[in-house]
Amino acid sequence: MPALNIRQLLLNVLVVALVVAMLLPLFYMITMSFRTATEIAEAPLGLPDRLAWENYAQAFGGMNYVRAVINSVGITISVTVLTALLGSMAAFPLARNTSGFARIFILLVALGLATPNFVTITPIYVIFRDLGLLDTYLGIILAFTALNLPLAVFFYVGFIGAIPKDLVEAAKLDNCSDWQAFWYVVRPLLGPATATLSLFVMLMVWNDFTYPLLLLTDKDKFTVTISVYRFVGNQNIQPDMLFPAAVLGSLPLLILFAIFQRRIVAGVTAGAVK
Amino acid sequence: MTEVTLQSVVKRYGDVQVIHGVDLEVNAGEFCVFVGPSGCGKSTLLRMIAGLEETTEGKMHIGERDVTHMDAAKRGVAMVFQTYALYPHMTVRDNMAFGLKMSGVPKAEAEAKVAEAAKILKLDPFLDRKPKALSGGQRQRVAIGRAIVRAPDVFLFDEPLSNLDAELRVQMRLEIARLHKELSATMIYVTHDQVEAMTLADKIVVLRAGIVEQVGSPLDLYADPDNLFVAQFIGSPKTNILKGIVIGSEGDSLRVHLPQLADTELDVACGTHMEPGKDVCVGLRPQDFGPDGDVTIPVPVEVVESLGGVSYAYANLPGLEEPFCIEHRGRSRPEGSVIQARFTSATALLFDPESGKRIR
Ligand SMILES: Nc1ncnc2c1ncn2[C@@H]1O[C@H](COP(=O)(O)OP(=O)(O)O)[C@@H](O)[C@H]1O
Ligand SMILES: [Mg+2]
Repeated sequence: MPALNIRQLLLNVLVVALVVAMLLPLFYMITMSFRTATEIAEAPLGLPDRLAWENYAQAFGGMNYVRAVINSVGITISVTVLTALLGSMAAFPLARNTSGFARIFILLVALGLATPNFVTITPIYVIFRDLGLLDTYLGIILAFTALNLPLAVFFYVGFIGAIPKDLVEAAKLDNCSDWQAFWYVVRPLLGPATATLSLFVMLMVWNDFTYPLLLLTDKDKFTVTISVYRFVGNQNIQPDMLFPAAVLGSLPLLILFAIFQRRIVAGVTAGAVK
Repeated sequence: MTEVTLQSVVKRYGDVQVIHGVDLEVNAGEFCVFVGPSGCGKSTLLRMIAGLEETTEGKMHIGERDVTHMDAAKRGVAMVFQTYALYPHMTVRDNMAFGLKMSGVPKAEAEAKVAEAAKILKLDPFLDRKPKALSGGQRQRVAIGRAIVRAPDVFLFDEPLSNLDAELRVQMRLEIARLHKELSATMIYVTHDQVEAMTLADKIVVLRAGIVEQVGSPLDLYADPDNLFVAQFIGSPKTNILKGIVIGSEGDSLRVHLPQLADTELDVACGTHMEPGKDVCVGLRPQDFGPDGDVTIPVPVEVVESLGGVSYAYANLPGLEEPFCIEHRGRSRPEGSVIQARFTSATALLFDPESGKRIR
């Protein structure tokens, strides 16, 4: 069947082209990070003559790497936990209640999902300024949590809706309040959903650039993404610092993905089937 | 031991009324079975007693207490769900102890109660397993165990055996009967299976479309049904229903002509006087055909179903939608031949063809 073979071939070519297109920036980021500023100036797309490790030493100190990673990890974990907790708590009644009010509320949540993040940044900035939350960990954590909650609620409503309602009723007869039925019976069953959701939330929070850039001014509170941005000045860019910083900035996520690769793929595909 | 009383209980979902004013008394220690076809409102009524559904109108008492609008947990009832509803993330032990924990029972006491229930239900070897690692029958027992440990006034079962295979169903049925004797608690049990109802119940409540058709002991319902529906629902195989015409009366007896059954004439005991020429429905139980009897009826047998001890012979009679069924003793298989079945005419049941009500 030659027709099929040609299709197969075209498909393969397309896939390879896509992979190359996606890996090329990564490849350049890594090769550039090992070249000196002079090398880059002479031949912007060339390969390194030797591995300039001193770039990394400089970037490491210049971006206050350890501090930035600690900030990013702390913020990411806080936001992920808060989002999962609040999202599932909000979803529990919404998933069981079939009244018109609940439907409208879910629609509102969907509206939140459809709102681009940059639309909310000005109001959040103004509100945080009035509340004194600018340049605080609490502020950035609250902002990220709010941004991710619609996704979380939507996600959990579907998942909790699939849990047999008999379980909650059995809990009711076992003397549970609504809250206890949620905490002791429903919440422990949300593990797989929480794993998948956390992946999305962690990626979003770790990689987000605009919110920390606008809400944080104290360099000690900077996250990894905006620490990298320090090497982009108004007039000039320091490439021998920027590229190693970018590599360092992506490293923690890469390591995390390498460790949990299998679970992540399982989580994403499970989410896709739903 | 506590009695359960329902007074004109009504359930509406929006505009749709599902339970139409049910009056019922379940005595203390009684095994009461709600039976009826699928969708007749058995589960709804049970869930209203459990407190899982709001009661729209009417009153409900458990013992002396008015529980009509009481929280489910405070009613002193325990329920066994059709799906078992075991908490998947908890061990068998924790599943059974959960209700006690939530009610603030001290840990040691809870453990003692779980151990006792596990012994009654032979669940000791499985206490540290999760429900996933149990068979259907074992899960069922855990669900019952979860109810037992709470020592409720009233046990509620919603089709607890319908997810089990036939053999296990019989075994668990016996076990539930044994439990009822041991615990001597009030139990309300929902099923669509009239065999389960007949074998388990002290009292059967036959429901149809949210209305109680008849309440009584299994044998009362079998021998003395109030209407066509009960006559057909209770007893297996189903009661044969034939068209009959009154042709005369004598004292407490009516002479009825059966045009569909080889123009047989029966003398049926009946206290109601009826004019000759009146139409009636006549119910003949397959089991009332046998070697003795005062009338002989020719039945053109087409199929015989042999259950070992007893056989049922089926015939297609002109004008009847369902096959006519009689009990058949002995090892012969008279398929394709006409047998002379004998019938005791006093056991025939008469019904009003319009209302379906029994004519006694
Ligand atoms: N939440 C509900 N909303 C509307 N109708 C319902 C609801 N639950 C049950 N019903 C209706 O009530 C009737 C009785 O249901 P159910 O008690 O489950 O029947 P059974 O247990 O006897 O099979 C059915 O016709 C069903 O459609
Ligand atoms: Mg039901």
